[in-house]
Amino acid sequence: MHLSRNRLYGILTLACLAGYVWVYFNFSSDSLGNYDNINVCLIKHFTNVPCPSCGSTRSVLSILKGDFLQGFYFNPFGYILLLILIVVPLWLVYDYLRQKSTFFQFYVKAETFLQQKKTAIPAILLVLVNWFWNIYKGL
Amino acid sequence: MDAQKVDMFIMTNGKFFESHQINVIRERLIALDDSKWAMLSTVQFKDPTTSLIVSLLGGSLGIDRFMIGDTGLGVGKLLTCGGLGIWAIIDWFMIMGATREKNMAKIQQFLY
Repeated sequence: MHLSRNRLYGILTLACLAGYVWVYFNFSSDSLGNYDNINVCLIKHFTNVPCPSCGSTRSVLSILKGDFLQGFYFNPFGYILLLILIVVPLWLVYDYLRQKSTFFQFYVKAETFLQQKKTAIPAILLVLVNWFWNIYKGL
Repeated sequence: MDAQKVDMFIMTNGKFFESHQINVIRERLIALDDSKWAMLSTVQFKDPTTSLIVSLLGGSLGIDRFMIGDTGLGVGKLLTCGGLGIWAIIDWFMIMGATREKNMAKIQQFLY
């Protein structure tokens, strides 16, 4: 029922590359805290209502500049994304070099963990709370 | 298994699979023991059309991926506004095929 190892690694490599390019592009283009150029979200574009993860780019940029509180205020997901952006490439390189699939095993375990009711419901609630907070903040 | 039963199964469930897989499924079902019919006829498959509708409406939140059981990719889509909107659009075209692949993986547990 799960993705194959190589396909997952391909998708993740592509996603991490895109993430780094995106962060680099925004980091170099914004100088005075001018965040108006960030507007790719489909939901926000069509409805003017921010989505649960709107503001995570601004959050990552703030964290990279050392402004951790501002990063949390923009969107707590920024911390998760930054963690993924740092950990996943290292883990993938380790797996490629050692010809192992430790990350794939972790991914499958994490997927089954998230699919359980006792973790899925709190996770959905957290996302919803974050969403309402985003709308309230008017990101 | 009885060819008539198999054809009935294919007629009612054909839309859940890729067209190139249907012949394989048919041959495997005919070779299958009759005792598995009761179990096979109660299996629920995911409708590709439903997942397309979900993808169009909630694709940026990853709900389509959660629905077909790709939780990891769903989380990825949710955290990145549907992959900056690009992945969400790509998935409008990919999700029906992905759903059929999931159905194939599901029926494979019974075929072999």
